[in-house]
Amino acid sequence: MAQIPLGVKTHAQKVCSLYKRALRNLEAYYDRRHVYRYQAVLLRERFDKHAKETNMIKANELLKEGEEELFLKQHPIPKYFATSPGGVAHERVVTPPDWVLDYWHPLEKAQYPEYFKKREQRKKEFVAMWEKEYGKPDEKDKHH
Amino acid sequence: MCFNSFFFLFFFMLINFFFFVYFIMNGLSVFFEWEIISFNSMSIVMSILLDWMSLLFMMFVSLISSVVIFYSKSYMNSELNLNRLIILVLMFVFSMVLLIISPNLISILLGWDGLGLISYCLVIYYQNLKSYNAGMLTALSNRIGDVMILMVICWIMNYGSWNYIFYFDFMKNDYVMFIISFMIIIAAMTKSAQIPFSSWLPAAMAAPTPVSALVHSSTLVTAGVYLLIRFNYLLIDMFFFKVLLFLSILTMFMSGISANYEFDLKKIIALSTLSQLGLMMSILSLGFPDIAFFHLLTHAMFKALLFMCAGVIIHMMNDIQDIRYMGGLSLYIPLTSLCLNISNLSLCGIPFLSGFYSKDLILEMVSFNSFNLMVFILFYLSTGLTVFYTFRLIMYVMISDFNLMMIYNLYDEDYIMLNSMFVLLFMSLLSGSFLSWFIFFYPYMIYLPFNLKLMVIYVSILGSILGFMVSNMGIYSLNKLLLSYNLSSFLCLMWFMPNLSTYGLSYIYLNFSQILFKNIDMGWSEIYSGKGIFNILKNYSVFYNIYQMNNFKIYLFSFILWFMILFIFFFI
Repeated sequence: MAQIPLGVKTHAQKVCSLYKRALRNLEAYYDRRHVYRYQAVLLRERFDKHAKETNMIKANELLKEGEEELFLKQHPIPKYFATSPGGVAHERVVTPPDWVLDYWHPLEKAQYPEYFKKREQRKKEFVAMWEKEYGKPDEKDKHH
Repeated sequence: MCFNSFFFLFFFMLINFFFFVYFIMNGLSVFFEWEIISFNSMSIVMSILLDWMSLLFMMFVSLISSVVIFYSKSYMNSELNLNRLIILVLMFVFSMVLLIISPNLISILLGWDGLGLISYCLVIYYQNLKSYNAGMLTALSNRIGDVMILMVICWIMNYGSWNYIFYFDFMKNDYVMFIISFMIIIAAMTKSAQIPFSSWLPAAMAAPTPVSALVHSSTLVTAGVYLLIRFNYLLIDMFFFKVLLFLSILTMFMSGISANYEFDLKKIIALSTLSQLGLMMSILSLGFPDIAFFHLLTHAMFKALLFMCAGVIIHMMNDIQDIRYMGGLSLYIPLTSLCLNISNLSLCGIPFLSGFYSKDLILEMVSFNSFNLMVFILFYLSTGLTVFYTFRLIMYVMISDFNLMMIYNLYDEDYIMLNSMFVLLFMSLLSGSFLSWFIFFYPYMIYLPFNLKLMVIYVSILGSILGFMVSNMGIYSLNKLLLSYNLSSFLCLMWFMPNLSTYGLSYIYLNFSQILFKNIDMGWSEIYSGKGIFNILKNYSVFYNIYQMNNFKIYLFSFILWFMILFIFFFI
């Protein structure tokens, strides 16, 4: 399923994506900011040189070459932000939300009768508190 | 829970210390044995061996684990399941102690398997995909060693008991003993991450940092070395020990180079651990188990400290471990940077810090013995590489420009973490001299030419200059990694060893199973069972549909047919 393209990207989008990935790759190689800026300007210049290309066949070829070059020069240890996908702390601490408990099977709930009894009571109290403070919701706000 | 465990382990350390002093002063060693069952000329016994070596190692393990637990009180402050971590660490210490005090292969297996299992649980403590993969790699690599120990247990049944220490002198030239020692070496190599099995140690850095400080730097990985120290009498004449020398020197060299290319703070330290393990293994296979044990102890101290400093830095940088984001931190965290620098310099073997006493002794013994040029060169190159990556690390993390964000507020005021670090700081300053004066005072007469003696200093200076140069980046400088891309990525990814033990192994099976899946699951069995039966039924029903849907035509057709039959019957 993962191979199915869910949308058609325009040529401009593809070029922009390539440019961004190339910049991130440069960031991994040149870790000092000023050095990176210098290299980024050089990279921008390479992209700008063909910005006004009207021949789509040539533009496509250039894009293909660019992708190839990026693939061949991919940093062995790419620089990821810690909590982004690929980073060390990505999804490290995942706290399941409270409503998950409402979707337990009745048989599962029956194993903790006291807790769920108290939980239902608390839910009622919470709704009562809410309605006391903000009033009852309009009929037209109820979607389902 | 935290404080109780800390208290317990700290007192356990003190008890071990007093017993150690008593035992070494009186030259004691105590051997307890309980017979559980005896049948068929085979006795199953539970035995415990307490001598100065096991007591000293237990003292170090309990000291490090107590400060690590004290440290995790603050480090894992926001963790909901802190008790789970503490219990796992305590179970780990228990398995380690069981491994240390047992002269019996069954109880060694219990300790050994416990270490593997608990280290798996600790690596997957953070439940994300990276940890799961790392945990699986760790567990399966260690499993090879467990299987080897199990096979040793089977082989040693020939002798009637599993107390291996009784057989060292009498059965040394036995063929069975040869097989046993071969398997023991393989088991130790998996635990100490020597070359074919090295990829798990950097991967295991997915564990929380206190765990890395205790498990993956100072205790678990040295279990293999400890086992070989215990088995040393048996192994010393073996040919395979020479192969181990070769592999361990290569491990040392490989991890030294990879650490220079690595950017993950914890992985750099893990690779330096790997390099030191290679050093211990190699001096062990040269025939100096006592020096290997000495280096094991001093290394445990400063490496645990190094990991704890890394933990403080990671905490402060919001979980970022990449040293490319860091820089100039010594201005904000002076006390942590003090600890980091001292442990790093101790790792390099700078004189009169703890690493110096053991490492210098090892290098002197290597120079003093006449080994071939390759061994000699690789030893000194690896020593230089240690200084090289240490200086690169210090330059990246502590000295050069700040690299993370525009507004930052970094500070060094977590005194729980700092206190626990200072205990280890004290130990990594003094443990080397303490141990060398009190315990390892062998009258080694080392006689070396002047330049050979100063060789360590030469390679260290060269390494520090190179470390300074690679971390210095001018605006017009060309990136050396890009210029030699293929070679660099080879060296960067640990000589592609992680690929060898992950994709390399699974590729064949996955490929084969994909072929099977395509041809059998989605191919023939589909044609002949699921899809095939469906097709047959569908075709028949389509065929019968023709009759059902064309009632009128069939009626006419049968009318004509009957008409023709009647015509033929009556008129012809």
